[in-house]
Amino acid sequence: MPEPTVDKISRRGFVKSCVALGGTAVLSGTIASIIGARDTDNPAFAANPDKPLRHVRSTCSPNCTGGCGMVAAVQDGKIKTIIQAADYPEVELNPRGCLKGLSMSNLVYGPNRMIVPQLRVDGSKPGTDNFTDVTWEEALDTAAVRLQEIADKYGPESIACIVQVAATGHVHKGALSRLAALAGWSMHGGYDMNGDLPMSAPMTFGVQSEENESYCWPDARYIMVFGSNLAATRIPDAHFLHEAQQAGAKMLVFDPNYSVTASKADEWHSINVGSDAAVALGMARVIIDEGLYDSNFVKIYSDLPFLIRRDTNQKLLAQDVAASAGLDVPADIPCYRRSHVFVTTDGRLRASNPQELLADVVPEHIALEGSASVQLGDGRIVEATTAFSLLRTQLEDYGLEQTEQLTGMPGADIARIARQAATTSPLHLIYGASNYQWYHGDLKGRALALLPVLTGNIGNLGGGFSTYAGQYRMRFKPAAWWKVDGKGPAFVPFEYVVHGPTETMTARFPKNGIRAWIIFCCNPFDQHNLNNQLREQKQNGHLELVINLDFQKTTSSLYSDILLPGVTWYEKTELVTSPVHQYLQLMQPAIEPVGQCRPELWIFRELARRLDTDFDQYFFPELGVEEATSEVIRLLLAQGGDEVEGITLEQLRKGPVKMHHGSYGTKRIPFYEQIHDGQPFPPVSYPEPLENTAQFVKSGRIEFYKDEPTFIELGEALPVHKAPYEETEYALDPTYRERFRFSYITRNSIHRVHSTHADNQVLLELKDHRPKLLVNPHDAAAKGVQADSKVEIYNDRGSITAFAVLDPGVKSGVVIFEEGWWQDQLNGSYNALIYPHIKPTHEVYFVPQMWSPNTNWNECLCDFRPVGVEP
Amino acid sequence: MKNGMVIDLDRCIGCQTCAVVCKMHNSLAPGVWWNRVFTQGTDEHQTAVGENDNLQMEFLPVSCQMCSDAACEKVCPTQASYYDQNGTVLVDYEKCIGCRYCMAACPYGVRQFNWRDPRETKAEAAHETAVALDAGLATNEAELGGVDRWSFARTQVVEAACLLGYPNPQFEGAAHHLVYTQNRPRGVVEKCTFCAQYTQNGELPACVRACPAKARSFGDLSDPTSEVSRMLASCSTVRLREDYGTEPKVYYLPPSNRKA
Ligand code: SF4
Ligand code: SF4
Ligand code: SF4
Repeated sequence: MPEPTVDKISRRGFVKSCVALGGTAVLSGTIASIIGARDTDNPAFAANPDKPLRHVRSTCSPNCTGGCGMVAAVQDGKIKTIIQAADYPEVELNPRGCLKGLSMSNLVYGPNRMIVPQLRVDGSKPGTDNFTDVTWEEALDTAAVRLQEIADKYGPESIACIVQVAATGHVHKGALSRLAALAGWSMHGGYDMNGDLPMSAPMTFGVQSEENESYCWPDARYIMVFGSNLAATRIPDAHFLHEAQQAGAKMLVFDPNYSVTASKADEWHSINVGSDAAVALGMARVIIDEGLYDSNFVKIYSDLPFLIRRDTNQKLLAQDVAASAGLDVPADIPCYRRSHVFVTTDGRLRASNPQELLADVVPEHIALEGSASVQLGDGRIVEATTAFSLLRTQLEDYGLEQTEQLTGMPGADIARIARQAATTSPLHLIYGASNYQWYHGDLKGRALALLPVLTGNIGNLGGGFSTYAGQYRMRFKPAAWWKVDGKGPAFVPFEYVVHGPTETMTARFPKNGIRAWIIFCCNPFDQHNLNNQLREQKQNGHLELVINLDFQKTTSSLYSDILLPGVTWYEKTELVTSPVHQYLQLMQPAIEPVGQCRPELWIFRELARRLDTDFDQYFFPELGVEEATSEVIRLLLAQGGDEVEGITLEQLRKGPVKMHHGSYGTKRIPFYEQIHDGQPFPPVSYPEPLENTAQFVKSGRIEFYKDEPTFIELGEALPVHKAPYEETEYALDPTYRERFRFSYITRNSIHRVHSTHADNQVLLELKDHRPKLLVNPHDAAAKGVQADSKVEIYNDRGSITAFAVLDPGVKSGVVIFEEGWWQDQLNGSYNALIYPHIKPTHEVYFVPQMWSPNTNWNECLCDFRPVGVEP
Repeated sequence: MKNGMVIDLDRCIGCQTCAVVCKMHNSLAPGVWWNRVFTQGTDEHQTAVGENDNLQMEFLPVSCQMCSDAACEKVCPTQASYYDQNGTVLVDYEKCIGCRYCMAACPYGVRQFNWRDPRETKAEAAHETAVALDAGLATNEAELGGVDRWSFARTQVVEAACLLGYPNPQFEGAAHHLVYTQNRPRGVVEKCTFCAQYTQNGELPACVRACPAKARSFGDLSDPTSEVSRMLASCSTVRLREDYGTEPKVYYLPPSNRKA
């Protein structure tokens, strides 16, 4: 047996060390000469007395948002091991955790761990690792001076802050929001920047997003998964899917590509790329045609019974109807709600009550279908038809044959599944980022939402409509800390920074653009689209200053000017929530901050007092950082509202504490208060006040008919299927239709949380240290690409190289790149290929991270070829 | 007492958490894995096997099978490989002479050899910056007025990275066999011990504690009331290469293939 190659990973010299460590290497082996080289002076042989280990419970909380309780074992002030705390009182949740969380110590003590503050060497090129170590004084003084210069030159709003996933760090991430509010800086919202905001959620339900906690998965009996690989991206939760199946649930996966989740499903349907809406509409047609829908549910909770004016294609407003109709329009309707009009079975018009869904209406008396001639207040007579009737007409385009053509799914399967879905309750529909991070992702979600809504599966235990991508959503009111006297920073959607402002935008864009960034635990120079353009903005000086707070030196650090070393979740106290379970948890310091690193609250407080001595008072100046953190947590708990009422820091110090909710039983049920108590849609989406999001669904109901002019102009008032690329790649450059025929999917790897863990030595070994491109074997053969050979993936915007993996589970015409690499590990940048197409429906309103232009990661075409072969 | 493990392949999602927690807690050097997760039929983990609609992806975690009739134990000339009183096959690192007969004999290929001092391998892996460190020292010392905090802190980080894993040695039985030590010496053979440092102290192996899919169970096969015994009694199980007659104490519940 040859001496195994020492697996030496050097970040800078990465590409050279692509050592294949396949399983077969260890499984073979012949005996060679006996080397007999035991070294007896190895201290391993000395019988060290056992030294005690100290155990500290913290919470793993990267951007996966899993929020897994972990225990670090510490000796001599250093972390030795990490294992799941497995201390959730609901024992079914134990043990939450995954391979990344359990090897986090490889980052705490990683090769790119930040140690001290650094400043870019004057005149050195952005993108190079050319920094000088400095004292905190020097770093912070410089930061304050430079920020002040930019603010004086371009206005403070030209300085933008990025914080990722607020709910993973209420105290320290909140500190930046607080400082930005004081200083008048702008903020980019992480949820839309990451493309994780599912626009169908605000459009249909008026919420930022909603989801069942994974503990509810076993309560479903029919689970339909569209474009979500839960068994890879929600590793700690995946067992609940298995338990659902054990309890009798059927799980169906709809995905062009085979995945771990598909392998565990009862059925996998390899639908055509971008055809999810057509699948849903084909099924909705069967459900409606065969009368399998829950008509009472639809009448009470959705806008489908409302009359749509045929002259304007807008909903008929009760206030516009002539007094002679005798409508009893409810009084005191807030400005963000509207009373609409429906028809009773005996042909009379009635006004809806947008404030109270169960108000004196007998659903049996409501006509779902039909038309009426209505006299308006100005005397005109207009024709109007119910939204449900219009939907039925629209669905005529989605007969089984047409749907089969659009989706590649046999019509018989569409019909069978539609019937099963309508008759097996609870139905839980899960739609992933692969489903909606498309230009027409909003249409897909709106179409898919028809299935649980038509069948009455909202507000019931186990049923629902969930996404688990990202999750910026805050679970309680953060304003006491995130804002200053009720005032938060102004938000600028990130998409406009790379795309430029649009004519249709409703958000404000600073008149001088964004000229400086403060980025906190975020790596946009790798992880955002058109990042080559971002890098150029830094290189050509448009972006004059980048200040980076991170515990690691990432690609974005290399494009920064000032590096402020932050800490991991084993070096500070912090308050954390997660979308997949209902527990409030703390990060707690197991060790002292590594090197000169400091908890971020300390860093922002120091920066604040240098900017303006008045700012000091907002950050508990008299307290040490740990004490100040405790005070902030107390403040957040005291003013966080019903969800955290009565929960104390002392309780949290002992372990996870479940937040309160309004559903019966132990599990939280989304929209419970709407369905059971008749409260209008939407429930509040923190941190926004209700009126800001309630305007999204003015009817107070689940809305399938969107009558804002943009929707009507685009023919999207009702959910419809639209093909991918037509309005994006092909519109931008018609030659893409012929030149770039492959759908470019950058999917999450089990070894990464995006680019976090990119330099985790152990996980790199499991990846063979190789960036990989998964391709269908037939496509590879057609291109002359062999397994393991180097390929170039490219379009006109960018190019990368990776090693080909021939995977028969990849649909022909698709290539999949596992994302999460740093610039130095790759030849090029995988996100450079992706263009920020902005859909006008995303701009109808602007409420930060709730209705805002999103990154459509998957709306991208490419081609690939063996390295060294010219096209 | 007879310790054994049952792995439910229907539950297993191939996430490799067991492999990683094993590596971290047992302080395995780069390149060494006591526990590996395979995708059956392919070298590329978590890719499909088959064609068109007839695809599958099935996982198989493999560590020492803890044979009751262990080939490794039979061939070991020094009795360094031995059974403890619970039937667990262990290696006494003080007795191992590195002849590697056991590696040749083991039909499952799970034993690994320390060709070099793992501390060296770890130090190399933790950093390529040994050189950079030296280079950095000079400038930094000057710039920070002789306060060389950077190199001090960096050295500490490298040191901590090299000393990750359960730190204390574990001795077994009256004879005080050294069955766990954080950095195994150069020239010995190592493999899964069912986490001797934990199970000898009444805790579960790290992989069993950590498996997020709850696919792994551990316990006393001779106690009919134990979870593992009850699983064996109620489900049909398989062991790897039963034809070798090695009588493993690691059992697998085969995948159910629920797809229509
Ligand atoms: S990385 Fe995410 S899923 Fe894994 S342990 Fe940490 S929080 Fe949990
Ligand atoms: S941790 Fe569990 S689910 Fe993951 S690979 Fe190992 S046995 Fe399978
Ligand atoms: S699997 Fe190999 S190393 Fe383990 S007991 Fe069996 S023969 Fe020995």
